[in-house]
Amino acid sequence: MKRKFWMFFSLLTVIAMLLSACGGSKATEAPTAAPSKAEPMKIAFIYIGPPGDLGWTYEHDRARKIVEQKFGDQIAVKYIESVPEGPDAARVIRQYAQQGYKMIFTTSFGYMDPTIEVAQEFPDVYFEHCSGYKTAPNVSTYFGRMYQPRYLAGIVAGNMTKNNNIGYVAAFPIPEVIRGINAFTLGARSVNPDVKVHVVWTNTWYDPVKEREAAVALLDAGADIIAQHQDTTEPQKAAQERGMLSIGYDSDMGKFVGDSVLTSPIWNWAAYYEQTIQNALDGTWKSHQYWGGLKDNVVQLAEFSPKVPQDVRDQVEAAKQKIVSGDWDVFCGPINAQDGSVLVPEGQCMSDGDLLGMKVFVEGVEGTIPQN
Amino acid sequence: MNEEQVKVPILEMKGITKRFPGVLANDHAEIELFPGEVLALLGENGAGKSTLMNILIGLYRPDEGEIYVRGERVEIHSPRDAAALGIGMVHQNFKLVPTMTVAENIILGMTELPLVPHLEEVNRRIVEISDHYNLQVDPTAYIWQLSVGEQQRVEILKLIYRGANILILDEPTAVLTPQESRELGKIIKLMVSEGKSTIFITHKMDEVMAFSDWVRVLQHGKVVAVKRTADTNPQELARLMVGREVLFRLEKEDVTPGEVVLELQDVEARNNKGLPALRKISLQIRQGEILGIAGVAGNGQRELAEVVTGLRSVTAGKLLINGQDLTNRPPLEIIKAGVSHIPADRIGMGAVGNMPVADNLAMKGYRNPPFSTGEMLHPRRILEFARRMIDVFRIATPTPQTYIKFLSGGNIQKAILAREIDACEGLLVAVYPSRGLDVGATEAVRKRLLEQRAQGRAVLLISEELDELMTVADKIAVLYEGRIMGIVPSSEADIETLGLMMAGVTPTE
Amino acid sequence: MRIVFEKRESISHWAVVLVPIISFLVSLLFGAILLLASGVDPLVTYQAMAVGTFGSWHSFTETLVKATPLLFTSLGVAIAFRMKFWNIGAEGQLVWGGVAAAWVALFWSKSLPGWTLLPLALLMACVAGAIWAGVPAALKAYLNVDETLTTLMLNYVAILYAKNLYYGPWRDPEGMGFPGSAQFPAAAWLPRITGRVHLGLIIALIFAFLLWFAFNRTRWGFETRIIGENQTAARYLGINIKRNIVIALLISGALSGLAGAGETLGIAHRLQQGLSMGYGYTAIIISWMSQLNPLAIIFVAVLMASLLVGGDQIQIMMGLPASVGVVLQGMILIPMLAGGLFTEYRLRIVRTPKIEEAKA
Repeated sequence: MKRKFWMFFSLLTVIAMLLSACGGSKATEAPTAAPSKAEPMKIAFIYIGPPGDLGWTYEHDRARKIVEQKFGDQIAVKYIESVPEGPDAARVIRQYAQQGYKMIFTTSFGYMDPTIEVAQEFPDVYFEHCSGYKTAPNVSTYFGRMYQPRYLAGIVAGNMTKNNNIGYVAAFPIPEVIRGINAFTLGARSVNPDVKVHVVWTNTWYDPVKEREAAVALLDAGADIIAQHQDTTEPQKAAQERGMLSIGYDSDMGKFVGDSVLTSPIWNWAAYYEQTIQNALDGTWKSHQYWGGLKDNVVQLAEFSPKVPQDVRDQVEAAKQKIVSGDWDVFCGPINAQDGSVLVPEGQCMSDGDLLGMKVFVEGVEGTIPQN
Repeated sequence: MNEEQVKVPILEMKGITKRFPGVLANDHAEIELFPGEVLALLGENGAGKSTLMNILIGLYRPDEGEIYVRGERVEIHSPRDAAALGIGMVHQNFKLVPTMTVAENIILGMTELPLVPHLEEVNRRIVEISDHYNLQVDPTAYIWQLSVGEQQRVEILKLIYRGANILILDEPTAVLTPQESRELGKIIKLMVSEGKSTIFITHKMDEVMAFSDWVRVLQHGKVVAVKRTADTNPQELARLMVGREVLFRLEKEDVTPGEVVLELQDVEARNNKGLPALRKISLQIRQGEILGIAGVAGNGQRELAEVVTGLRSVTAGKLLINGQDLTNRPPLEIIKAGVSHIPADRIGMGAVGNMPVADNLAMKGYRNPPFSTGEMLHPRRILEFARRMIDVFRIATPTPQTYIKFLSGGNIQKAILAREIDACEGLLVAVYPSRGLDVGATEAVRKRLLEQRAQGRAVLLISEELDELMTVADKIAVLYEGRIMGIVPSSEADIETLGLMMAGVTPTE
Repeated sequence: MRIVFEKRESISHWAVVLVPIISFLVSLLFGAILLLASGVDPLVTYQAMAVGTFGSWHSFTETLVKATPLLFTSLGVAIAFRMKFWNIGAEGQLVWGGVAAAWVALFWSKSLPGWTLLPLALLMACVAGAIWAGVPAALKAYLNVDETLTTLMLNYVAILYAKNLYYGPWRDPEGMGFPGSAQFPAAAWLPRITGRVHLGLIIALIFAFLLWFAFNRTRWGFETRIIGENQTAARYLGINIKRNIVIALLISGALSGLAGAGETLGIAHRLQQGLSMGYGYTAIIISWMSQLNPLAIIFVAVLMASLLVGGDQIQIMMGLPASVGVVLQGMILIPMLAGGLFTEYRLRIVRTPKIEEAKA
């Protein structure tokens, strides 16, 4: 009897294969249905979370919609959400590559190895990996100098805090996050040297419950402004429920939460996507490592909340101009490390390499970085 | 004959046929039951008695045939349907929840009950019924506190409480002491005198003669004889049942006992509840000798068998097998010393229901050639062996690959017997080996035991049937409250003395 | 008229073959309702799923990649379940296998010759998985500690410990601080056969056949079956239950450990996120559906892998959110599992029973 049982399953497998065989022909017919115009270039986006996260993936998806609008029938765009980092990602990326997609955006750091791996098999496909450091002839990386708008947000927070204690809900102790905390702290202390930024690690990018808990813990400890590096709006909501202020991230969180969100450093990926897709369409795409800043508009500071007074807005605008002009950047000396030692001497600026590998906090940050 | 024509049957089963894969369990079987009467269903193991009754209470459905209750054609799909028709059954294995009280068990599963039952009312009615039929049941007692006989009376009370007037009793006396059986007889008589009817499944001729008004004999699923009890006798019934003349006397060769195989020295052990179950037991069994253990169930028989087979640890004393000290050694060592064991609990211990008959037959021998070489098992040799055993021991099974749970109780017992006798190399411990078996099978079991004796094996036979002990055993030891009251040669034993010893009275000579 | 649910007296041969087929069709029907409600054509979706899993050699290899850890863990689970030992800790055993393999690959590559690296890593994965399963087994055998709790809880210990390793001490010093260990030296990679299908699949298949043989043709298999079916009988027959439980669970854990090793040495080439993907839990469903038959497990594991891989297509081809894919997988599984009931029971429609009249 048991033998029959597994014989049945082999049968099922065969049926499934047959089914797919008839399906296969259909799938290949479908794209040739519109022969009059030039083939639209097929573009795919791989997302780490759902577009409804109102954070990281939301912003990529918003940019996707903008480029779809802009390029119209020149491109055909598909996306897949909630793809776990690790081995599964390679399969999903490969599926797109096989199905004739010319350009694939992999929008999370953990997709780095899978992207490189699949790219080797498909040299004619353009791969764009967000936030990583590995490239190949057909793999580019792109990211934004989020530390710049974070510095500006720090100026806002430094002005608005009443007890000089700012809470910072942080995802993982990795350079990107550390850089953001440092920039924010430098911004806050540039207008208010007494500010302390208290950091709590959640070790998650997207866990509404945990992120809320971390924010509540910081509020309990006396923070009156909550900043964050996460992909949800929960820390903002927690602060608002306590009648406290906050700084958002990723997207203009004030829209979803309310005026208690003073401003948010935000992504504007469309600025980059438009340019690189245009290059691909023109045939001028080359492997590159893009790290755009405020100047390129790929990172921005969102609209201020009505609660932010005009003089603070003016201070922010002044600092922004200084950065955009290129004369000065956030990590130009003198900067002290958390322990008081000199991190960047006066007259020097950190190189991009140092920025990308940042491992220590600056003065004014309360908290520790787990060391290897 | 006049009476019969006047009375209308309360229950009729007509042309009942039921097939199981490979087996025709019932073949146009017919039953008639009259109000106020007892019908005995007599038949060998696997003759189809239980199947027929399971159809009646809705556990099985017949492939063909019709059932009439009080003249109306009925369809019975579940025990609930049967209960609605006033039909109830006391199974061989009681369906009681040990951790609940008598009253709770009785109302458990009753649909017409209020959400919160009025327990005092229930208790009052239980006591009322109990007193009326002299059942001696305490509604507040927990089932686990009750003896087997008491549990059976709870089952009967449950049926009466729920308004059953057709009671089916499946081998009710198999688990009872002679006294309890007599009590049960009285209860049945009383119920019948009030107009209830009873179907009584049994193998025991004396019970048929004592309790029933009518007998129907089943053979291979067919009703082969319908007799008024008053018009027949045990010999005739036995012949009808087995289809041949039955020897009620067995030939017992003279065997000269040899070396001591089993020796217990002042053995003490506790039961599952941690109470002393065996006290200072000392006994010896020699080659070619059968020692019978008599006693009312629950006086340490089970513990004695388990101690000898290594399944229960000894708190004091010594266990010697062929002179080797095996006190508190694991069961495997005792098996390897040549001890075989036919356990009392066949389904629970002796067999693995969800495995084929062939595998069950090989469960003792699989460690050695020819069944295995090293770790390798040889299924084909196991199958060959099984075919041979099935043949020799006349085990009725569709195929050797049939799961043993689909066999009748008697055939499972035959399979266990086959396995254990084949593996036996020194001592055979047989616990209630013929319990629930029909005349033919019982005879076969006893013959096998005597064969073992003739071949020079030692046999420890635990039985509750004194005539079995007296025909088969060389010596009989009586257990009472974990003590040996005395050991008498069976040639000198008489039922009166043994009965007194079983009741705890030391014989004064 | 009423419908009654009756126990079959014997397991019908037809039912064994027909019931799963009908269950599968019912599953597709259930799924179709969900897909219609989501506004897509179910037929197109099912075709897309089939194409994505069996449609091309490439996609089929991806299904096999997914099936490999499922196969290992399901075999491991089947050994334990055969003895009615409810090992739901395959996930943790898998993670430990991955960690142990990574340990060898990362820290022994300099001191050992290259060719020894891979066998040693696989061996350590077995040992680590075996220990992780052996502890609950010993607790159960000698102290009667409930194994469902211990195996389940140890999963979290394993998963969090592995996380700690790749966020902490084992983090790649050249990874710019990002989580994940350094890449293993190439000598410690499991050779690939085609696509991303690696040697692990062959090893898993060999184990499936070995286990089938062990279950049906060895004394050990015979004893474990008896223990699983009837412990009292096993004791009576002189079988050492405790030792058998521990041995079986050591093997069970070792197989799950190999699943983890396959994922790290064969696919990811580093210890990182994505090692614990719930294979250990899916394995429970697979071994259950296969009735613990190692050969049936091969097919069911591939089928289950195709279901998991096919879920992607719901997004890629149909543009539905990921959650629809997960719900669909669940809806397909429920009738498949519930179908087993019909091999033992049957529904019958009964017309106007006479019981009412008889009662009156």
